[in-house]
Amino acid sequence: MGVYIAGKGVITSIGKNVEENFHSLLHSKSGIGKMEYLQSAYSETLPVAEVKFTNSELAEMAGVKFGSPRTSLLSTIAAKEAMENSGINFSKYRVGFISANTVGGMDNTEQRYKEFLIDKTGAQLTGVLQHDCGTITEIAAEALQINGFVTTISTACSSSANSIMYAIRLIEAGVLDVVVAGGADSLSRFTLNGFNALMILDKKPCTPFDENRNGLNLGEGAAYIVLASERVMQEQNKEKKFFVSGYANANDAFHQTASSPEGKGNYLAMTQALAKSGLQKEDISYINLHGTGTGNNDVSEGTAIQRIFSKVPPASSTKSFTGHTLGASGSVEAVYSLLGMEHGLIFPNLRFATQMKELNFKPVTELVKDVELNHVMSNSFGFGGNCSSLIFSKYKK
Amino acid sequence: MYINGIGCISPQPTFNNQVFLEEIKEYNTNRIYCVDTDYSKFFDVTALRRMSRIVKYGTAAGLIALNDAGIKTPDAISTGTGYGLLELSQRFLRDFISTNEGVVSPTSFIQSTHNTVSSNIALLTACHGHNNTFSQKWFSLESALYDAQFLLKEGKQNVLVGTYEEIGEFNYASLMQTNDLQAEPCSNLAMFSQNNDGVIVGEGAAYFLMAHEQNTTTYCKLKAFKTAHNNENIEILLQEFLAKNNLRNADVDVVMNGMNGDKSNDAVFNTINKNLFEDATQLAYKHLCGEHMTAVSFAIYAIAQIFKQQQIPSTLVLKNAERESNVILLHNKYKSYHSFFIFEKC
Amino acid sequence: MEELIATLKTQIVEQLNLQHLKAEEIGTDQPLFGEGLGLDSIDALELIVLLQQKYGIKLADPTEGPKVFQTVRSMAEYISSHKAA
Repeated sequence: MGVYIAGKGVITSIGKNVEENFHSLLHSKSGIGKMEYLQSAYSETLPVAEVKFTNSELAEMAGVKFGSPRTSLLSTIAAKEAMENSGINFSKYRVGFISANTVGGMDNTEQRYKEFLIDKTGAQLTGVLQHDCGTITEIAAEALQINGFVTTISTACSSSANSIMYAIRLIEAGVLDVVVAGGADSLSRFTLNGFNALMILDKKPCTPFDENRNGLNLGEGAAYIVLASERVMQEQNKEKKFFVSGYANANDAFHQTASSPEGKGNYLAMTQALAKSGLQKEDISYINLHGTGTGNNDVSEGTAIQRIFSKVPPASSTKSFTGHTLGASGSVEAVYSLLGMEHGLIFPNLRFATQMKELNFKPVTELVKDVELNHVMSNSFGFGGNCSSLIFSKYKK
Repeated sequence: MYINGIGCISPQPTFNNQVFLEEIKEYNTNRIYCVDTDYSKFFDVTALRRMSRIVKYGTAAGLIALNDAGIKTPDAISTGTGYGLLELSQRFLRDFISTNEGVVSPTSFIQSTHNTVSSNIALLTACHGHNNTFSQKWFSLESALYDAQFLLKEGKQNVLVGTYEEIGEFNYASLMQTNDLQAEPCSNLAMFSQNNDGVIVGEGAAYFLMAHEQNTTTYCKLKAFKTAHNNENIEILLQEFLAKNNLRNADVDVVMNGMNGDKSNDAVFNTINKNLFEDATQLAYKHLCGEHMTAVSFAIYAIAQIFKQQQIPSTLVLKNAERESNVILLHNKYKSYHSFFIFEKC
Repeated sequence: MEELIATLKTQIVEQLNLQHLKAEEIGTDQPLFGEGLGLDSIDALELIVLLQQKYGIKLADPTEGPKVFQTVRSMAEYISSHKAA
């Protein structure tokens, strides 16, 4: 029984929907820049990739109550687009919502906690109990009127790739008919200060896979794809165009934050995803890299890719557009992979200058047009050694 | 799926699987914390120094379950936690807020992510397999169990499934403000006899080595489970669930209830027990572990032990029908979050 | 210098939460990383925090770390030569 991709939706610093994101990708328009919405002591020194709307504007777009965590707003907007884009009549089916996030309602919690530190008994703490990741998903599910199985995955930077895998399995096992899967994360001072303490934030727009890369930029966003069973596709007269042919989740089991130099987890995720798809490595037409721009990630990922592919396929990191959207990055890049396949395009790795000395390949630096992408691999690796790879394929009768 | 190993650290001394609720702790407070074991048996000193309380007991409980099943490296790990690592998140919040986003130590941030515990187990057991962490309020464990079920179907031999939760100072303060807790002082052991409003909040970690095949370490079979997020027709949903698994009400020997001492939460159990399971042995467990988003894991620990030890500690018993425990139904509930499980003797 | 070294050892134990060690057990010339005290990349970041919080010295480039944090002595030398006059 097959599972197919029936729709997609995305909001990031480079656009509030699929069309705007596509336009920015096409014109090499990066979303990384000066901090305007997040209130932080680093507003002048650390560039970020913000969604260019205030919370009240986002709440209006999402149709969600103002005051809800920013992550839930981003989540609702992108998931709503994906559902509309699918054209499926959801009321007839067992519908699930599998969403990922890592920050939860941290934006609201930060504010409350500040008050709590000053006055432990006087601070108004209502809403604090909603800072968990699951609440974010529930707020969105309610706005989307999804009443079936709803859950949240939180495995750091690989979270939303894992949502997509879990969704496929739920459909294959016959638990659900159609699932909206992906993830969301908003910027917060919590993550900004955390990554800053790890000294892996670039003070300039990031340069993934460059010899002189200097770290990542944090971004925010949300993205979802709609996954549907064979039966749903038939009943809804949907053309089967794309599906997830391979996927794997592996663990580096090397260190809490650092990747093993040889990228063992990355290697396992990619090879197991290939094995699952039944494809040969030569079949992969493009790799959407995890490519955060940190010294450690890019060398581990690149080394693992080199070990697998004797001839490395065209590859690029679209984090050079969106920054690292953490829990959302896997699904944001899933949507970009699908856009590339649909339009025969490879989006470039911006600002690249010098090839890494450890690697025998460099990323794609200019937009490539009129290219047939049959199978695209998308990598998402993160803290805790969590490594996931997805392979998107064109459906051929 | 079979449960081939268990590990539980809770507000009761549950870390040793050789004994089963022999010593019961009574508390007179509305928050009950884990009884710690000697963590230096599990971790070397260099690892231990960075671990917060939940990382210690969350990881140790997983290692206990693996050891119990005689397995060094599981094929995969899937965990669930409602709030994640509260203490470290709050420490990091405090650090950067109190320094106005100045120079802060990264360690608490690093260990504040939800997947810290499951990846820590992977690190310690050299498990390069699938590693997942769910965070869906009262359905976090159930989400991880689905994950395990899928993986076992795909050919994995075993999956370590578990949960961990901790009481954070900040969350406790919020629970007090929202009147979700019982007024202090209150005895956990008198929870079901006092017609209270509010709950006693707890914490803990419990793990299960879920396996495709039964073996000499097997506790029981988890036949089926289901979640329902509403309060309407729960009785009907429960009966549909039993029927789908070819069981009549009368087949249920023991029913484990998720009552938590809050009278508005527990009312439904009185009705269901009377209407459906009048002839079954009726048990409850939250007086031992407190209410929290993954408390249901404590119930599964207790059920597994009931099968293995072939006895039901009196502290669990609301009503004893003196039946042999062949089929145990677990009905967990918090507000409108319900989940049902059927366990069978092997 | 000896005084700085002794203080530094106490501060290292505290910052890195090395509960199993007494400050005086750390050898002044014992390597802090690898085979020596067995510290890792997270500890390196913590030592950077220590320098900044206790001595007001900012190690802007983390790649400088391995050289500075070789031993307690190398740290002390770095501190005394960089400490704001």
